[in-house]
Amino acid sequence: MSIAPVEQESVSRQEDAEVDVPWITLVWNDPVNLMSYVTFVFQTYFGYSKSKAERLMMDVHVKGKAVVSTGTREKMETDTEALQGYGLWATFQKDV
Amino acid sequence: MARGFKRKGERYVAKLDPVERGLVVGLMEQVLELVSPDLPHPQEGGDAFDQIVAGLGGSGWGVSVSAEDQAPSTPASPGGLAERDPALERLLPSAHREDEQIAAEFRRLTEQSLRSRKAANLSTSIAALASVDEQRVELAQPEAVAMVVALTDVRLVLGERLGLRTDEDLALLEEQVSALEDDDPAVYALAVYDFLTWLQETLAHALAR
Repeated sequence: MSIAPVEQESVSRQEDAEVDVPWITLVWNDPVNLMSYVTFVFQTYFGYSKSKAERLMMDVHVKGKAVVSTGTREKMETDTEALQGYGLWATFQKDV
Repeated sequence: MARGFKRKGERYVAKLDPVERGLVVGLMEQVLELVSPDLPHPQEGGDAFDQIVAGLGGSGWGVSVSAEDQAPSTPASPGGLAERDPALERLLPSAHREDEQIAAEFRRLTEQSLRSRKAANLSTSIAALASVDEQRVELAQPEAVAMVVALTDVRLVLGERLGLRTDEDLALLEEQVSALEDDDPAVYALAVYDFLTWLQETLAHALAR
């Protein structure tokens, strides 16, 4: 009897783990978007601090892409749509 | 002589002469047409600026952003991603790099609202530039944001037409263009691109907090 709850708990944890696999929104480097503008978008849309927005912008510029947000698939789709609305090259995917 | 955007209190102010405003408005109207497929095609021979730009289009480097001016027309295939105008593909890129099904689903759910949003920013910017009497362009905060986004979309389309795909391409293009005669359309197209870049940069800086 005392074992059952433990088993149930472990099952529900597995389910949670499946549901909680995070998704990410990526922004890719492109030759047109300005560094000042990309920083402005990260601050305006996400409400990120200037230093965080600039760090992400530099990651995009130097490394070619950056993870700009993490969360549920629905939230990442919302972020991707918004960033594409600003003209940024945004995509979303399951975090691997 | 143009003067870039500066923040004055709650307003964003620039100085653009009628030719400069006409240039920006003309390109914004073309991008507006690109993102709003339901709009009726403008009549041939309407605006003088459109004629100039359309005339440049056929020479390969034109600043016309109309797809018909860029390449031999291919048969349209509704919904077919491969046949989409590359500039439209740049404005509405595939949202998933590996899974075509997820990308197609995202496109189906978001394309209309994204097109509407881009069209609204372009329309707001066109109206703001068209209502200027003298040279002073004065924008409230929401108009300034619409303008900085609309300028992005115009530069994305123009950049695509100019073949800018990597960070190195602009320097390469500048080098090629420096060897050309001043009246070459490529020289004009690149000058227009540089002008839009400068204008957007001043506005992005003015908006920065």
